[in-house]
Amino acid sequence: MPASWNPEQPEITDLIVRHDPRTLQREPVRKQEVVEIFQKFGNRQAVRAIQELPEWDGMLVDAGVDRMMLAVHWEMQRLAEEFYHGHRVWEIVGATVRALRMNGYLQKIRIVDVGCGIGYTPRWLASRISAQEQGLEFTGVDLYSTLIREATRLAEAERLNCKFSHGDAFSPQLAGNIVISTGVVHHFRGVELEEFLRRHEREETQAFFHFDFQPSLLAPVGSWFFHQLRMRTAIARHDGVLSAARAHTAKTLVEAARKGAPGFASGMYGTRIWNTPLPRVFHTLVGLRRPLVEEFRAQLGRRAGRLGELQ
Amino acid sequence: MTLLLLYLLALLDGVLCGLRTAMGRNARISKRWYYLRATVRGLVGAQIASTIALGALLLVALITPNSGALRMDLEESAGRMLRIFLPYAVLVLGSLSLRAIPSTDIRSASSVMFLGPLTAIRPLVMIAGVGYGIWGSRLWETRVLGLIILALMLSLEFALNRWMGRMQAKQIAKLIPIGAQSGKPVKP
Repeated sequence: MPASWNPEQPEITDLIVRHDPRTLQREPVRKQEVVEIFQKFGNRQAVRAIQELPEWDGMLVDAGVDRMMLAVHWEMQRLAEEFYHGHRVWEIVGATVRALRMNGYLQKIRIVDVGCGIGYTPRWLASRISAQEQGLEFTGVDLYSTLIREATRLAEAERLNCKFSHGDAFSPQLAGNIVISTGVVHHFRGVELEEFLRRHEREETQAFFHFDFQPSLLAPVGSWFFHQLRMRTAIARHDGVLSAARAHTAKTLVEAARKGAPGFASGMYGTRIWNTPLPRVFHTLVGLRRPLVEEFRAQLGRRAGRLGELQ
Repeated sequence: MTLLLLYLLALLDGVLCGLRTAMGRNARISKRWYYLRATVRGLVGAQIASTIALGALLLVALITPNSGALRMDLEESAGRMLRIFLPYAVLVLGSLSLRAIPSTDIRSASSVMFLGPLTAIRPLVMIAGVGYGIWGSRLWETRVLGLIILALMLSLEFALNRWMGRMQAKQIAKLIPIGAQSGKPVKP
């Protein structure tokens, strides 16, 4: 196994942008510190990618990192487009919205994309679904202010009815009725994963859907091939493959959800392609308030077979 | 007829190169005009390459003592090239047509299973096609022209990629000027 596929190490993007956990303000990052972390893992690919980043007096230059991260996120959006991610999200979020309405939930439903990056999912939803007619609010939250500024710029450029906020997605002002994320949960390891899911236990939150890579023997190889073809930046190529290697199994996700967020019935959605043994690239951790489960299953219609056991 | 078919395939390749090099460089949701411009850019690039190839062909035709034999040799070589390029083009267009099927699974699978691998082998197909075409040719002029065409085909995507890369870098630099400040966050 190449050193860059070792799931024990963090991703480059986890380290080159750092925020104060309390104030969420950006903190300076010493380049050599990041390099040394990957040197310990013998990961020369990561070291080379970090060396390319601009530095000033040993510290990474924020604007240089931001520019690179923007390029990476534009590339990542291409993958989301190729995988029709917006359609996949609405497939289950739409069923949840209908289930909530059928259960008599009449208030505005706020859908929050946690760790939204440049906000592809909320923007896609806003471009296809009439938020006003359906009484919905599409929002995205991220700790990285540069990406939030870009998400806002893009939404304004296309006059899309969605909002983006820099901050904590589980804070009282920003928390949602339906919480979604894409490629985020594998960044939380061990107790952090449980803690992340525990934070969904808010009265207003009715459901959560976390989309992430599904681990399999072939996942890192397939991911490597695809990222070589489709991504141009060294960091995207590195982190994309490492994400697939670090992805949590369905068992880990479900166990963490049942332990961390016991107020929800949780399970997996879309793990296999058309009931064959073939794994999907992405699987989804699902959490629903128990009174919603039956109606949600009914609203999924012919896709209900993709939903695993919820408990 | 054979040369015309090769020319049309070159234009198709140019269009797809234009699209590929534009992808992942614009994060809007609706990109119809952006992709239309990318298609035109690819088409223009392929047309320039074809014009250079035509210029080289005319030049060789002028200096060769036996233009009749050259024409026949070129037609035969082009015919052999088509045996490689046509099935490849059919495979690519077939994979693209899968996207018309209204199933997210089939559409995404067309990317992973077909379009991705077909893009990966494009340079090899180019080399194999031109190599096979000029392998059986009798005249050195045909071989030289074949190699010129190969170089042009391979450099088209490279050139478009560089062009788009430069445009993207300029756009990002405009969005993030040096010294950009972070926005005020909502505290936990």
